[in-house]
Amino acid sequence: MAIDIGLVARRGLIACALASMLAAAPARAQTVLNFWDMVWGPPEYSETAKKLVDRYNAENPKIQVKYRAVPWANWYQTYVTAIGAGTAPDLSTGAGYQPVQLYDQGAIHPIDDLVAELKASGELDDFLPGTVERLKYDGHYVSLPWAVDIRVWLYRKDLLAAAKIAPPTNWAELRAAAKALTAGDKYGVAASGDTGGSHYLYSLMVNNGGGLFDAKRTLTVQAPRNLEALEFLAGIVKDGSVSPASAGYDSAGRRRAFMLGQAAFILDGPGLPDSGTPEAREQIGVLPPLSGMHGDKGTVAWTNSIMVYEQTRHYAETKDFLKWWSRNQKPLWTEGHAGPMPARMSFHKDPYFKDSALRSFIVENYLPLGKTTGANAPGIFAALNALEGDGVMQSLTQEILQGKDVGPGLAKAEGKLKTIVQ
Amino acid sequence: MKARLDLLPFAFLLPSIALIGLVIAWPLLTGIDYSLHAGTMLRQGRFVGLDNYTALMGDEDFWHALRFSVVFAVANVVGAYLLGLGIALLMNADIPGRGFFRVAFLLPWIIPSIVSVVSWRWLVADANAPVNLLLKLMGANPIYFLSSDAWAQVVVFAVKIWRSFPFMMLSLLAGLQGIDRTLYEATAIDGASRWQSFLYVTMPQLRNVSIVLCILMTIWTINDFETPFLITGGGPSYATENLILMAFRYVFVRNQVGIGSAVSFVTFIILTGLALVLLRRQRES
Repeated sequence: MAIDIGLVARRGLIACALASMLAAAPARAQTVLNFWDMVWGPPEYSETAKKLVDRYNAENPKIQVKYRAVPWANWYQTYVTAIGAGTAPDLSTGAGYQPVQLYDQGAIHPIDDLVAELKASGELDDFLPGTVERLKYDGHYVSLPWAVDIRVWLYRKDLLAAAKIAPPTNWAELRAAAKALTAGDKYGVAASGDTGGSHYLYSLMVNNGGGLFDAKRTLTVQAPRNLEALEFLAGIVKDGSVSPASAGYDSAGRRRAFMLGQAAFILDGPGLPDSGTPEAREQIGVLPPLSGMHGDKGTVAWTNSIMVYEQTRHYAETKDFLKWWSRNQKPLWTEGHAGPMPARMSFHKDPYFKDSALRSFIVENYLPLGKTTGANAPGIFAALNALEGDGVMQSLTQEILQGKDVGPGLAKAEGKLKTIVQ
Repeated sequence: MKARLDLLPFAFLLPSIALIGLVIAWPLLTGIDYSLHAGTMLRQGRFVGLDNYTALMGDEDFWHALRFSVVFAVANVVGAYLLGLGIALLMNADIPGRGFFRVAFLLPWIIPSIVSVVSWRWLVADANAPVNLLLKLMGANPIYFLSSDAWAQVVVFAVKIWRSFPFMMLSLLAGLQGIDRTLYEATAIDGASRWQSFLYVTMPQLRNVSIVLCILMTIWTINDFETPFLITGGGPSYATENLILMAFRYVFVRNQVGIGSAVSFVTFIILTGLALVLLRRQRES
């Protein structure tokens, strides 16, 4: 019997092709979601987030989530170019005002139905008061909160103890302590001329009952309370109590100076101590929320959230993952040491928070006082992103840290901010 | 048949024309179009004519960035040229270890800019930075280089000169080696000093290469983004913000693509003017 080798080979190939198509069928049924997550903590943060995604993938074989850690450098360009190129993720975490800014540009899918579901089940009550409503924009919920990034005053216990100075409780005490702790190459306060440095201005303004906006979202940069707050910082600079390197420092430089004990006070996030050695961590304490000139208390805070993009072709699956992630993300703190504080209050009951004097103090005393950079305007709005990133407030911070007069700088800043807000 | 032969050269040019159109003409025309509209990167707004350019002319930041760009370019061209020429003259002489030094002096040009610029930042960051420790050893007070407008500009200029001089050195060295030795012999017979030989033989012979180098370096400096961005981010108080950083700030931070594109187009016109001078110079020489 003659065998047609060519025929056998052709049939073999067809059989192989059919088999591979059948084998590929389940893979095609699997929905692939792209989740982009900012780097919210030390290296272990992204590792923990990846493990969490792996857990979800194992529990949900029909959905395959691909995790990508996005560095903060040039984050806005990363998202805008991806959206422009049609390669946006299905969902992402992001900067505090990112969802409203991208929503205005037609890139964000509202999650009203998800919020309604969480409300119906009572799960919405688990979120810190105001955090969900803060993300309601133009009548829609544009993202779901997952964390609150807040600025708190941290201090070096060793430096204060050596000088026999009690932790300050108000501005006057802070200024006096900073002056007393300045000697040689050690300074009372370390600040920086970058975005992190501008947080000093926002925090002090809010602390003094001021803010960049009024309730009608009109700019009030030169309001007396703001001027007082900035004059207070300028006073500490003129005392010589702020490290002269501050105007040129970036946040890493400012933090290094504090962690090395070259400065006694710093305004930073609750996660800063976790970035230090165990010995340095032991030496860091948190000041009570300071009373401003008129007895007000407060600080700046951002509600960090997870948003869904219009370009997603799998909204139902994305929503499913978002719900799961929101409920199961506690390891991001307990193992990943995420910097911001959880938006879900049930997470605050974990020993990671309860047993830490610093974290539990921040949860109880600082979180209720946090206001956005849009204070005293309700909610958040797109201009806040440009306002924070533009450099006007950074430039003002640098001028104050250089020892220049506040008044002219503030007037100039208001003129520039008006063009941004318009 | 004749007509087909006439079209053949154009057919050969087509791929190049298509490529140039794709990578130069299309982005340029898109940029001009953006500069005539309001809106963001994701959503182009209404046509506003020359409003973005008018707004730019009334913006003091623009004039400051333009001034800084010019000063930055002049400082770098002068600094890099003088340093490059000085070292090229040394490398052209018969000195021991000449091969090693030729490679060593190229290092600032070879090292990736992110590595070299960030290292420079570390060198001058604060009172405990190596440069300040050196000053302390010499009995001087520390200088907070990145906290002062003037010092920050000096640092940006210094780093740019450090990164630029190897190219100047290499090109001028090639120019020096191309000078006919008999010219020097003739001036020696005439009793000219070394300075006179340098002034009346070397410099005239390097004239053309020097002009081309200076124009090229001016274009590259005005176009430089990474040096000021990585050292100071344009600060403090916009003191080191050039036109390119300003365009970046408007487009990617302020989300005002129209004005950012207008800044880019104005920069493009300045650079095109310089390029035309360069082309004319090359044609003359």
